[in-house]
Amino acid sequence: MRASLKSEKPFAIGLPALVWQALFFYLPLALVFVSSFIRLSNEGKFQGFTLSHIATFLNLIYFKVIGASLLLALSNALLCFLVAFPLAYFLAFIAKGARNILLFLLIVPFWTNFLLHVYAWFYVLERHGIVNTLLQKIGLIETPIHFLNSTFATMIMMVYYYLPFMVLPIFSALESFNFSLIEASLDLGASWNSTFRRILLPLTRKGIIAGFFLVFIPSFGEFAIPELMGGERHAFVGTVVSQYILGEGTGSLGSAFTLLSALCLIAAAMLLYRLINFLLIPRMRRG
Amino acid sequence: MRDIILKKLKKSINGQAIIPEVNLRIPAGKFFALLGPSGCGKTTLLRLIAGLETADAGQILLGDNDFSKTPIHERPINIVFQNYALFPHLNVFENVAYSLKLKKIPKKIIEQKIFKILEAFHLETHVYKMVSQLSGGQQQRVALARAIMNAPEVLLLDEPLAALDFKLREKMLLELIELQDELKTTFIYVTHDQFEALTVADQMAIMNHNGEIEQIGTPKQIYEFPHSSFVARFVGTTNILNGTLHDLDSDPKIDVPGLGMLKCYFSKKADWMVEGCTAIMSLRPEKIFISKKEAKNFTNQIKGVVHSIVYHGRSTQYNVIVGDNIKLQIFEQNEEHFPQEVIDYDDEVFLYWQRENGVLLEK
Repeated sequence: MRASLKSEKPFAIGLPALVWQALFFYLPLALVFVSSFIRLSNEGKFQGFTLSHIATFLNLIYFKVIGASLLLALSNALLCFLVAFPLAYFLAFIAKGARNILLFLLIVPFWTNFLLHVYAWFYVLERHGIVNTLLQKIGLIETPIHFLNSTFATMIMMVYYYLPFMVLPIFSALESFNFSLIEASLDLGASWNSTFRRILLPLTRKGIIAGFFLVFIPSFGEFAIPELMGGERHAFVGTVVSQYILGEGTGSLGSAFTLLSALCLIAAAMLLYRLINFLLIPRMRRG
Repeated sequence: MRDIILKKLKKSINGQAIIPEVNLRIPAGKFFALLGPSGCGKTTLLRLIAGLETADAGQILLGDNDFSKTPIHERPINIVFQNYALFPHLNVFENVAYSLKLKKIPKKIIEQKIFKILEAFHLETHVYKMVSQLSGGQQQRVALARAIMNAPEVLLLDEPLAALDFKLREKMLLELIELQDELKTTFIYVTHDQFEALTVADQMAIMNHNGEIEQIGTPKQIYEFPHSSFVARFVGTTNILNGTLHDLDSDPKIDVPGLGMLKCYFSKKADWMVEGCTAIMSLRPEKIFISKKEAKNFTNQIKGVVHSIVYHGRSTQYNVIVGDNIKLQIFEQNEEHFPQEVIDYDDEVFLYWQRENGVLLEK
C-alpha cells in the first residue's frame, strides 16, 4: 500500500533529526544572516539595519581571500579525486579479501586527534624527517629539502585529511558497478582509455560528484592546515572569519563575511556541478 | 572464413583446474553449441576465446592465426553477455552504435546502419529509449544488434536466453537460427539447456563436470548415438542398463541380470569390447513401445508391471518395473483421443524395441 507509506508515521520518525537540524543549523544560519545586516550599539542594543558590514568586504583584498580559499578547495578536491579513484577502483575490483581491512585502515586516522596528525606529518616532512633521511640514504639529494611551511606541505596534509571523503562515495559507486559493462566495452573495440571515459566515469558520476563536494565544501573553510603546514603566507576565508568572530565587537563583520563567502561558495559549487557533469557525460551523448 | 581451433587450452582459477585441457575445432560459418551442466567451465572457455580471460597454456587459433595473446579489443570476436551488459546511461541507438562511433565512421553511415538493423530486430519504435525501459526480450535484441554491428568473424553467445520465459525463448531461438543463416558468421552458443542446444546447433560439443569435452557431433548424432552415459543422460532422458557383452561379431547382445539377453547396437567395434566384459546400454524412453499384447517384428521384448503413469499432454510417461526391480521409463505419443488400449497401474505389459535403439556406451 503506497498511500500508507506516505502517511505521517515516517515523518514522525524523521522529526528528531529535523528538530536537531533546525536548532543547530537553520537557527545559527539565520542568526548569521540577521546579524550581517544590523547595527548594534557598544552595549549590544539594536540600532537599525545597515548594509555597511557587507560593504566593508566589497573590496578586492577580500575577494582575493575568497579566491584563495576557492583555489585551495578546488585543488584539494582535484588532487583527492586523482588519488581516490585508483584507490577506490583497487578496493572495489582488485583487493578482494583484503578489502575490509583496507577500508578499516582508511578510516582509522579519524579516531585520533587532529593535532597528532599534524605533528606526525612534521616528523615525516621536517629537515631530518623520514622523507629527507630516506632521500639522502638513497643518494638522490645531498642537503635536506625544505618541505615544511610550503604549499606542498599544505596540500599533502589536505589530501591526506580529506581523502576518505572522496574514496568512500566513489568506492560505493564502483562496488555497485556492473563490471561486465567494462568487458562489453573492451569487447566492442574500445581501448582502456576510451572505456574509462565512456563507461566507467559516466556511470560512477554520482559517487564522484558526491565525493568531490564532500571534499570541496569543507576545504573551503579550512584554515588550520594551511596555517600549520604552510606558514602564514596566505589568508583564507576561515582565517578572516575566525579573527572577526573572536574579535571584540566585530561579530557582525564576521557574520557579513561569512555570508558573502558562503554566497561565493554556493555560486562556485553550482558552476562546478555543471562543469563536472558536462565533463563526465560521454562525448557520444553530446553528438 | 576461418575455423576456430583450440589447442591444448588450459585454465585454472585459484589453483583449481577449470579447463584441464581442451582441444576443439569449431567450423567456420556454423552454428556451434557448447552444452554442459552449470559450473562446468563452458563460460570460462567462451571468455578465453573472447579474451576476457587469459589461458594458462595452449593456443586459440583463427585459421592459422594464433590470437591467444591479442588484446580483447583487437579480436574479431564479439560476445553477447548473459546479463546483456547494455550501457545503462546510453539509449538504444547509442548502445548499438557504440562500436561504430569508436571507429570514427561518418555519422550519416552510422545512422543508416543502425536504423536498418533496428528495423530488422523490430526495435524501430524504441530507438531513443533508455535500455532500462525495454522488456527482457527487447534488451536481448539490443545486445545482439550491438554485437553484430561490430561485424565480428565469430559471435559468442553466453546463455543469451536464460533470462527469458519459455515462449519467448522458443521464438528467439528461431530468430537466432535465421540470423546465423543470413550472416554466415560463426556462432558459438553456450548453454546448459539441451533443448536450446539441440534446436540451434549445426554442431555441438558436450562438456562434463570436469571441463572435458565428452562428445562432438550433430545434434542428431549426439542424441541418437551418445558415446557415454554422461552424454546420454545429459542430452534428453534415457534408461541405462548394465550387463555383460556377448557375441560381439555375429549378433551383439548385452546380458542384463534379471532381463536376459538384449540385442544391442554399436557403430564401431572398440578395443574395450571383448566377450563377457561389462557394458552399459542406453535406451531412450520414446524408442520403447508399450502394450498389453505381445508384438512381432521387434528384436527385443521384455515383460514388466506398470508402476506409475504421468500424463504430459503430448505424451504419457509410463514407469515400468522389469526384471530385478529395474525401473524403465517409456514415453508414448498421445496420438488418439480415445486409445483402443487403456493401460493402467499394475497392468502387466510388454515392452519392445529394435536392436539399434539399444546403444552401447563407452563409459
